[in-house]
Amino acid sequence: MSTKTEHQAQPGPEPLDVHDPRLSRFDIVREGARRDDIEIVHYEEQVAPGSKAERRLTRTVALFFLLTGLAATAFLVIYIWWPWKYDAGSGGDNLYTPLLGVTLGVALLAVGFGILTWGKKLLPKEVSIQDRHENDPTSAESRKITGETMLFLADEMGVKRRPLLGISLLAGLAPVGAVAAAPLVGGLISDPHKNNQMFTTGFAPAEGGQKIRLVREDGRPIRPADISVGGQLTVFPGIEHGVSNKHADSPTLLIHLRESDAVTSREANQRVGHANYMWGNYVAFSKICTHAGCPASLYEQQTNRLLCPCHQSQFLITDNAKPIFGPASRRLPQLPIEVDAEGFFVASSDYTETVGPDFWERP
Amino acid sequence: MTSDNDRRRGLLARLRGQRSAARSRGRRRLGAAVRLIAALTLAGGAYTVFAPGVQAQENPPLTGAAAEGKALFDVSCVSCHGRNAQGVEGRGPSLVGVGAASVEFQVSTGRMPMARQEVQAQRKPPVFTDEQTRQLAQFVQELGGGPQIPHGNLAEGANLATGGELFRVNCSQCHAFGGGGGALSSGKFAPSLNPASDRQIYAAMLSGPQNMPVFGDNQITPEQKADIIAYIQDTLKTNQDQGGFNLGRYGPSTEGLAIFLVGIVALVFACLWIAGKS
Amino acid sequence: MKRRKLDMASVPGKAAVGVDERFQVSTPLRKLLNKVFPDHWSFLLGEIALFSFVVLLLTGVFLTFFYEPAMTEVVYNGSYAPLRGTPMSAAYASSLDISFDVRGGLIMRQMHHWSALLFMAAIVVHMLRVFFTGAFRKPRETNWIIGSLLFWVGFLAGFTGYSLPDDGLSGTGLRIASAIMLSIPVIGSWVTSSVFGGEFPGEIIISRFFIAHVLLVPGLLVALISAHLGLVFKQKHTQWPGPGRTNDNVVGERMFPRYALKQGGFFMVVFGVIALMGGLFQINPIWYFGPYEAWVVSAASQPDWYVMFLDGSTRLMPAWEINIPIGDGYVIPPLFWPTVVLPGILVGLSTLYPFVEARRLKDTRSHNLLQRPRDVPERTAIGAMAVSFYLVLTLSGANDVIADKFQISLNAMTWAGRIGLLLVPPIAYYLTYRICLGLQQHDREVLAHGVETGIIRRLPDGRFEEIHQPLTAVGEDGHGELGYVGWVVPKKMNRLGALGPAIRGFFYPIEKPAEAPVSPGHPPVEPRQEREEIGSGEPRR
Repeated sequence: MSTKTEHQAQPGPEPLDVHDPRLSRFDIVREGARRDDIEIVHYEEQVAPGSKAERRLTRTVALFFLLTGLAATAFLVIYIWWPWKYDAGSGGDNLYTPLLGVTLGVALLAVGFGILTWGKKLLPKEVSIQDRHENDPTSAESRKITGETMLFLADEMGVKRRPLLGISLLAGLAPVGAVAAAPLVGGLISDPHKNNQMFTTGFAPAEGGQKIRLVREDGRPIRPADISVGGQLTVFPGIEHGVSNKHADSPTLLIHLRESDAVTSREANQRVGHANYMWGNYVAFSKICTHAGCPASLYEQQTNRLLCPCHQSQFLITDNAKPIFGPASRRLPQLPIEVDAEGFFVASSDYTETVGPDFWERP
Repeated sequence: MTSDNDRRRGLLARLRGQRSAARSRGRRRLGAAVRLIAALTLAGGAYTVFAPGVQAQENPPLTGAAAEGKALFDVSCVSCHGRNAQGVEGRGPSLVGVGAASVEFQVSTGRMPMARQEVQAQRKPPVFTDEQTRQLAQFVQELGGGPQIPHGNLAEGANLATGGELFRVNCSQCHAFGGGGGALSSGKFAPSLNPASDRQIYAAMLSGPQNMPVFGDNQITPEQKADIIAYIQDTLKTNQDQGGFNLGRYGPSTEGLAIFLVGIVALVFACLWIAGKS
Repeated sequence: MKRRKLDMASVPGKAAVGVDERFQVSTPLRKLLNKVFPDHWSFLLGEIALFSFVVLLLTGVFLTFFYEPAMTEVVYNGSYAPLRGTPMSAAYASSLDISFDVRGGLIMRQMHHWSALLFMAAIVVHMLRVFFTGAFRKPRETNWIIGSLLFWVGFLAGFTGYSLPDDGLSGTGLRIASAIMLSIPVIGSWVTSSVFGGEFPGEIIISRFFIAHVLLVPGLLVALISAHLGLVFKQKHTQWPGPGRTNDNVVGERMFPRYALKQGGFFMVVFGVIALMGGLFQINPIWYFGPYEAWVVSAASQPDWYVMFLDGSTRLMPAWEINIPIGDGYVIPPLFWPTVVLPGILVGLSTLYPFVEARRLKDTRSHNLLQRPRDVPERTAIGAMAVSFYLVLTLSGANDVIADKFQISLNAMTWAGRIGLLLVPPIAYYLTYRICLGLQQHDREVLAHGVETGIIRRLPDGRFEEIHQPLTAVGEDGHGELGYVGWVVPKKMNRLGALGPAIRGFFYPIEKPAEAPVSPGHPPVEPRQEREEIGSGEPRR
């Protein structure tokens, strides 16, 4: 083992003449480092050149690299020839991605471990010490000079003596900054109260007072007989694009309560002045949670609780969908419903409370 | 029941247009057959129960299977559901009118008989054999009627895309996108759909066990139920996940766990090795 | 022939001279080559984040070739049968195409997502290292601030990316994000309407998020990462105290070749781990979620892990609504506090912490030496408090999954989180503080009395006593004079070299060991009765 150890004992060694032909390459490297304030204090081969250990490590590294080649080739072969089109997993297509992952991963890991073994085990170990130069006295001096230069700069500009220049420059530049921001902000800004959009839903009666039908997700209108006792159905306004994200605040949950629950529910309705909101034993509440807008739709038909899966707010359907647990603070708005002459559910009017998550100016 | 004309409207009709004509025709014919069978059994069941029930409430003549079922009932169920299944206050509800579907669901999944009173009955190995379950169901059916599961293949000729759409609108909120189930309020839960058979899924939709809402045939037609069952069985339950091990399909929470337990742990070990002295 | 060969060998040298004559780069280049980096495993954690960011860029570029950032409605007709014929947005359809109809697209998508999770995880782990070792102290406060900004910008990058597939789960997340913006007092509705171009969801948000995700946010990330690395380079890396290490030097390896080689290898390892995860573990199976529809939701709807703490805080927040009875009445919804105010406080606290600590300790010096967490019990305890706070929130973000899988009541989980959020951090503070003091004490004890040898001897009066190996020559009272230098104190005999040199070789020794190892458990038996304690008496540092 060749070990080159030298301690920092000699203070300030004389600079070497790097053109001296007697110097080895390492001597020059060390001299270069020294000129950058780095002292290589310990430099040691980890394995003796030509030793059994070196040969063995070389073989290991080579093996890693060959494994990389092998895995990368396997990756390419699989990439090209493995059946990859979705076939419900029956043609081995569900193995395509895992096989690619394994071959790619092995290829990358092998090259990584090859390089690491090379660097860690075969390269000489060293300990170098570099100075930080933070408390260098020259830097304090330099700081002083730079500071004075800047102050002098200010003197030369004379802003202090001629304040009008500074003030007028500021006054002139401020609007320019606003000009840069204006198109961006102005282009993005959009009035949330346009068409009263925050307070109306798709159930708002059409022009001429035509009441809006409740429809299913496939657009069919709903008869009372379509929902069994203890059943629930997601309903939408029967208008154009009613069943789409264009009316993201309109989805409503239509529930057929059991007789006894309906009685409780009707009494609760009367308490808050919603006397005619139910039709028979049917109630309709907004599906959009008043907390963060998720569809609150985990209806428990025996406890009559409605759970929102996003933040676990729980609403009691038979008590005007009052929040009874979790972070929601406002009850779900109720849609007044009735049945039209053809026997289909319609909304008597739009929601009378604001649908969806709360906001500042919600009355 | 809605006519085919109604069904043509809207989204569903658009989806159907995508399918090959032959398959569609075959399916419609089959669907009609299923509906016919369902209607017949319903009508028949209702008749056998109501007709004698009106005449002799005390002692309705039971068919053979139902009599066997009553014998089983009197041994295993009577303590909670009471004599003649009329229910016992505070212990078990009346079973009059719940129908064979409900019995089949509760008994074949092992939920009934319950081991103890708890927030929600849990799935466990069934106590009764299929034959006994059928007899119990027949007994309850003859007591007071109610929904029944049609016979035959319940997922015949189904459309996976429609099933997926219906599953996401009606089922995923409680049973989760992957069908693994989820929590409900105060200790109740929607169970995993993984162990459920076709008939059990059908029965659950029809009867609305425990806190599950009822999805009667008037709301989700037998055809649509077939679509949903097919989606659950063919898409969610097959273990042919694209893109590797599905981490239990619990969503981002297990993914987050995996990045720390697998990714970070592996790489920290790599760090230790790289910076190690030997 | 011969002359030509000679020419070939001298070409690089001549070219180098030519370059230097024109650009005078040799001195700065040598300074770059000659830069010393200290070596410790914990200094590599930040690199995980850096390397996963590189993987993010590589896989992200691939994804942009196939992704279509549009919300126009199309009917899916790709390979995935269970969705064929379903109307959906072009963004979702193209994400499905990447998963099923682009060769190797799914592994790219999965690698992209896994490396995003790894990026954030590595940032957090790296931040913990920096915090607990005091690496943020002067002169590195700026880099600490840049680092914590990187977390929040990464958070933004993650969230915008998570929303792009426009599937059922990400759409739900977007819906909550819109509600969060909406909850800001006074300007909430204007902010939401401006961001979404009208009422939620509008038709423009995906393309806006796309440009933010592929250009604005990554641009910001690249700028911040460059500044972060530049500062590390300029200020030089901190180091642990130890032999020869002072506040004014760096002891380690020069950057080239060994250090750089190791970094290159480590990049490959990080890349390889991401590839393995991308292939073997399914992530974000968007085809189960279906297209985003405002009325569709799933049980266990969660954001990615780094957003989960906000989801948790939202779940734990009691339903406290503030009504302001002026005019028609105004509302501050409960959503505002855990999602806008809390992150604001967290950003403020984390960026200001270095200054708060320096002010408290009246510390104006520069620190280039790290501190062991046990030596600064107060900071370590504060850190433990912050970590436990974050953990309670994150676990609450998954409380429905925990409730379901471990059969706990959901409501009980929420209450446990609410109480835990108040109780656990102070307990963590107290315990950590005591543990730090205990560890400190043990260090001092070993320095004074020596290492436990595991050898028990019986005294003449019948007592048993363990023999200690002193670390230095002992004085009259049997105590050593060794001071604590802020570095690991050896606590096991083999740390003192009592164990023979390791035999090299995996299955069989490749070299004859120099001498047979001596087991410390069986010291060579010597007949002399008046033998002293085993010990070299040499000071070890």
